[in-house]
Amino acid sequence: MSESREGLDFSTVIASTVHDMKNSLAMLTQTHNQWIRQMPEALLHTREHGVIEYEFARLNGMLVQLLGLYKLGVNQLPLQPAYLEVEDFLEEQIARHFEVLQSRHIEARCEVEEFGLMGVFDHNLIGSVVANIITNSIRYARQQLLLRAWEEQGTLVLSVCDDGEGYPEAMLAKQSDYVLGINHSTGSTGLGLYFSGRIAELHERNGVRGHIEISNGGPLGGGEFRIYLP
Amino acid sequence: MQDYSRTRFLIVDDFSDFRSSVKAMLRDIGAKDVDTADRGEDTLVMCRNKRYDIILHDYNLGSGKNGQQVLEELIAGKLISHQCIFVMVTAESSQAMVLSALEHEPDAYLTKPFNRASLLQRLDKLVERKTALKPILQALDKGEHAAVLAACDELSRQDKRYAPLCLRYKAGALRELSRHDELEQLLTQLLADRPLPWAYMALGSLLHSRNQLQRAREVYEKGLQQFAMLPGLYDGLAAVLEALGEEKKAQHLLEEAIKLSPLAIRRQMHLGKLAMANEDFEVASKAYRHAVEQGRTSRFKNPENYLGLSQALTAQAGDGSLDKRVQQEIGQTLGELEKTYSDNPAVQVRARLAHAQSLVKSGDAAQAKKLTEEAMARMTDLPQFFSAEVALQVAGQLRDLGQPGAGDELLKNCVEIYGDDPAVLQKVAGQTSDPAILGGGKEAVELNRQGVRCYQQGQHDEALALFRRALLLQPKNISIALNTAQSLLRLATGQGSEALLGECRACLDAVRMIPDTDPRQERYQQLRQRAFGA
Repeated sequence: MSESREGLDFSTVIASTVHDMKNSLAMLTQTHNQWIRQMPEALLHTREHGVIEYEFARLNGMLVQLLGLYKLGVNQLPLQPAYLEVEDFLEEQIARHFEVLQSRHIEARCEVEEFGLMGVFDHNLIGSVVANIITNSIRYARQQLLLRAWEEQGTLVLSVCDDGEGYPEAMLAKQSDYVLGINHSTGSTGLGLYFSGRIAELHERNGVRGHIEISNGGPLGGGEFRIYLP
Repeated sequence: MQDYSRTRFLIVDDFSDFRSSVKAMLRDIGAKDVDTADRGEDTLVMCRNKRYDIILHDYNLGSGKNGQQVLEELIAGKLISHQCIFVMVTAESSQAMVLSALEHEPDAYLTKPFNRASLLQRLDKLVERKTALKPILQALDKGEHAAVLAACDELSRQDKRYAPLCLRYKAGALRELSRHDELEQLLTQLLADRPLPWAYMALGSLLHSRNQLQRAREVYEKGLQQFAMLPGLYDGLAAVLEALGEEKKAQHLLEEAIKLSPLAIRRQMHLGKLAMANEDFEVASKAYRHAVEQGRTSRFKNPENYLGLSQALTAQAGDGSLDKRVQQEIGQTLGELEKTYSDNPAVQVRARLAHAQSLVKSGDAAQAKKLTEEAMARMTDLPQFFSAEVALQVAGQLRDLGQPGAGDELLKNCVEIYGDDPAVLQKVAGQTSDPAILGGGKEAVELNRQGVRCYQQGQHDEALALFRRALLLQPKNISIALNTAQSLLRLATGQGSEALLGECRACLDAVRMIPDTDPRQERYQQLRQRAFGA
């Protein structure tokens, strides 16, 4: 079988399929939302509704990540940094998950160290990183989610904390392996860390590159994900 | 939450489900005035008739114009105010949307699918931002760039969140006001701190316009190292390389940019021109063909693309003859050109010459001769001079078509009108070695040069005397005529002399055929306004 000439380039096939899947999912979500509007109030806050909302968000996040990884691989991921208002950015990420948070009874809020804190980063790329982390945290959070931002010696730090169990010890100990793509372990979390790390690295200022860190504890006692952007 | 009850919304998307879903979301947040459309072409019509406050526009609209093209046309045609909020909605965060969006960026991108909470959060923020920026945007709408600067300084003092945005508006205003040194300083400082794509673009194009080609090249190259996916940087670098005489490299860069972002008429046109110069006729005809196709429904359509396509196709045949299919494409292209620009006599002349050239190749000498003669007859009463570039091209065509006398006459004219530009003279020298043509403007140009020097040193009377002598030799030279007019106007206003004013008007009238595309057109119009009154 290894004789096959001119075989399909599998990653391109996957990428274009993922692209279609994403559009299809967008259609599904859109239609579902329209449908929801016609439902009686009593059906709106059921567990099933919550599951559907959550899995929509998760699927979407994974597909975005897959496409992103493909583009990173073929060196076609454009970076378009701009000055952004950080609080505005974080609120936007929370708003994207409004329905899921509501249906799971999770309270999400954001805290920004100083009023009008600005950052320079790619809105779209960092947006998809934070959205994926939030989706992941929602899964483990009990009641609370906290997005924070502050500046450390000219570096912007974005942090996502939850009040869940936290990351497994093994993952914390080997986080650099995940980020470097050495540990090809299972699970979207591992891939998510790799993706996040690569996106952080794309952000550079005067030779300093961005990076990510995960830890447990934090202000809510659960897992904390941080992304450092120079 | 903002009050949206009096906001005029427009939703443009090719999916009716999407339109109705967004419309419902907008109704939920209090909107009452919501229009919808399914094609970008409709957006243009609707914006001509109604002033929208917020436009939610899909990027990928199937076969028609995409959202970015619509935005560019809206801005170029001044169909929306700077105060309008334009949100680009994308099915996926495709790279294509980021592409080419540097010059005319939408106010925000919104990725499908989005929920009501996201939409509301974004709109609230955008309204807040536009409200804060209002003094700047109003000044921009009026084209008052000094007021833009003042408003920028004021707002960045009041609210530091807007400082980076203000810097960008400030850079734009400084460019409009030709305050080049300040602009260069601002951009250099900014880039030393933060590598931002728009700042690379702005600095590169500033240095290019100031003819600091080597430095411009370095800026673009540095920008590309960091942002290898931005076609705008390729465009800028290609233009610099072309100016440096490295046309092959420039062509290669534009081909790369087109791979990233093919839907750009002006980029295709530039590639066509470069490939022509490099005698890469296959690439040239392809690029011009794309430019013609994309231009059909666009305000950026340009007769040069039709002519370029026809010439590239003719040249592609080399010494051989044109096959029937190619001759047919040329005929169609030029037919469409003549029809589209039926009110443009210069285009009519050039279309006939291009057609004649292709007919020579297909062996129809009689028809070629007829068209050439028609073109020459029409050339005698054109309302505007050809630009130097076109004049040189037409002179070459006339020579090819067996009319060397007419070609030489055109070159002579070209030397008189544009002879103060050494680059033009050099190109004329590429077509003829006749000293009577080449040396025609020499004395006048030298007098003009001395005149400019005197004028700059404040010796206005001496300057005027020199300009007058120069103009006597070459009355149709645009630079000399404008210099003379300016000197006369200065003196006439000082002395209140009607005679001097009359002389000034005569100078301007002698060059009233200055092409619309000439970079001195603005200066000419200003002088004209002052000399003739409003």
